[in-house]
Amino acid sequence: MSDGLSAAAGERLPDDIVDAAIAWSVRLDYNAATPAAKQAFARWLDADPRHAQAWSRVAALRSDFSGLPARLAQEVLQAAEAGRRGAAAGRRRALRVLSLSGAALASGWAVREATPWQRLLADASTAVGEQRTLRLADGSVVMLNTDSAISSDFSGERRVLVLHRGEIMITTGDDAGAAAKRPFWVSTPFGALRALGTRFIVRLERSEVRVSVQEGAVEAHPADGGASVVIHSGERSTLGPAGTSPPVVADVDDDAWTDGVITGRDMRLADLLDELSRYRSGRIVCDPQIADWRVSGVFHVRDTDRALRFLTQVQPVTVRYRTRYWVIVEADRAG
Amino acid sequence: MRTVECELRREAEDLYRGHHGWLQGWLRRKLGDAMEAADIAQDVFIRVLTRQQPVRAHEPRAYLSTIARGLVIDHWRRRALERAWLDTLAVLPEAEAPSPESRALVLEALIEIDRMLDSLKPQVRTAFLWAQLEGLSCPQIASRLGVSLATAERYIARALRHCYALRFES
Repeated sequence: MSDGLSAAAGERLPDDIVDAAIAWSVRLDYNAATPAAKQAFARWLDADPRHAQAWSRVAALRSDFSGLPARLAQEVLQAAEAGRRGAAAGRRRALRVLSLSGAALASGWAVREATPWQRLLADASTAVGEQRTLRLADGSVVMLNTDSAISSDFSGERRVLVLHRGEIMITTGDDAGAAAKRPFWVSTPFGALRALGTRFIVRLERSEVRVSVQEGAVEAHPADGGASVVIHSGERSTLGPAGTSPPVVADVDDDAWTDGVITGRDMRLADLLDELSRYRSGRIVCDPQIADWRVSGVFHVRDTDRALRFLTQVQPVTVRYRTRYWVIVEADRAG
Repeated sequence: MRTVECELRREAEDLYRGHHGWLQGWLRRKLGDAMEAADIAQDVFIRVLTRQQPVRAHEPRAYLSTIARGLVIDHWRRRALERAWLDTLAVLPEAEAPSPESRALVLEALIEIDRMLDSLKPQVRTAFLWAQLEGLSCPQIASRLGVSLATAERYIARALRHCYALRFES
């Protein structure tokens, strides 16, 4: 095939052959190819040397993109495009704000707890949209995600960190100051977690606590006295009233927030917006009609307005700001 | 052949002498930056000098400004892309960012891709980028865009045809 290309690199091929090569590429490279399709393709490829030539050219187009950092490339290209279309899109959006529908507003509305009293009890806390990294006396490092609160007690025979609210990533230190390395525990309303290794994430929700282990392992002891479970590196598990879920392989992206982003891969739009709303005061309302749409991309949690803007660039959605604290995401009617 | 070369040279010199100052002024008004205007004016005359055939333009200024307009668009495209590039690099996790040595190459590749995909419709462009960068299949693209499989396949085919034409038929 490559011989065909180099032999007559500049030759113009008939349109029908080029179109056929592209149709084959769509069938084989961008779809799950059946054995029958592969056989038919092999016959087509052999039928005419120009077929092979067209095919290798189409394959060369694909290689223009190989080796590029996908996330970076994706975002830069979409942002540049959006910048160019920005002025026109802004006008379209302004017009659509006028066609306001009340139905979407009422649904899904829930008032988030606005008085995080737990913070008053805590040694350290973050406000909505804030992230903080702390170094503890034993050398451990704790990163607090948005709207989180912890306190610590390292005076006894064990090191105990209490998660009152929100989400933390812990990288345990070697406790060099103590005579012997003391066990490290994270205490939550739904159970206690004993660190058997170095790095893990604990996220406290209303009705459960989620644990995701990046390095080492964590032993989870549910509050109801049920059997403990070991969660290994790369796994996640949930502790709640219903017990402890068996550890499953974690999304690689559980710790994306520590880099200031949410990475979505085929994520439900409503779930993505719920995630984003953790990082901003107020509410993001998702029109139920588009709640199940799937989205992928890298969304910046340190600038959620920007993340929403990015969303409008990669999805046919409109973001409306009723106020700074009340944002509505709905289908883009103009397409 | 020698006479053609002579004529080309003479024509370029005439164009330069007669219109270089005007072209720079025209570009300066468009770009608002004298240094950039000078650079692009320079590029316009490089284009003029590297032609194969004399143009014998009746309207030399219209001819020069047509070339210049294309270069200005390229220039703006590049600027928009560079800005998006810097914005994105600033917030990208370290591990996702290319090494400092390869950054210039990646940026050039992105500028090239951006130019290549320029005239595609936004949905076609998006579908194609998902396929090429994230390795999404047509069914995945269809569900993400909320279109039929046949439409997603048509998008990919159209983008491939467009890129093919630019690479192998221009």
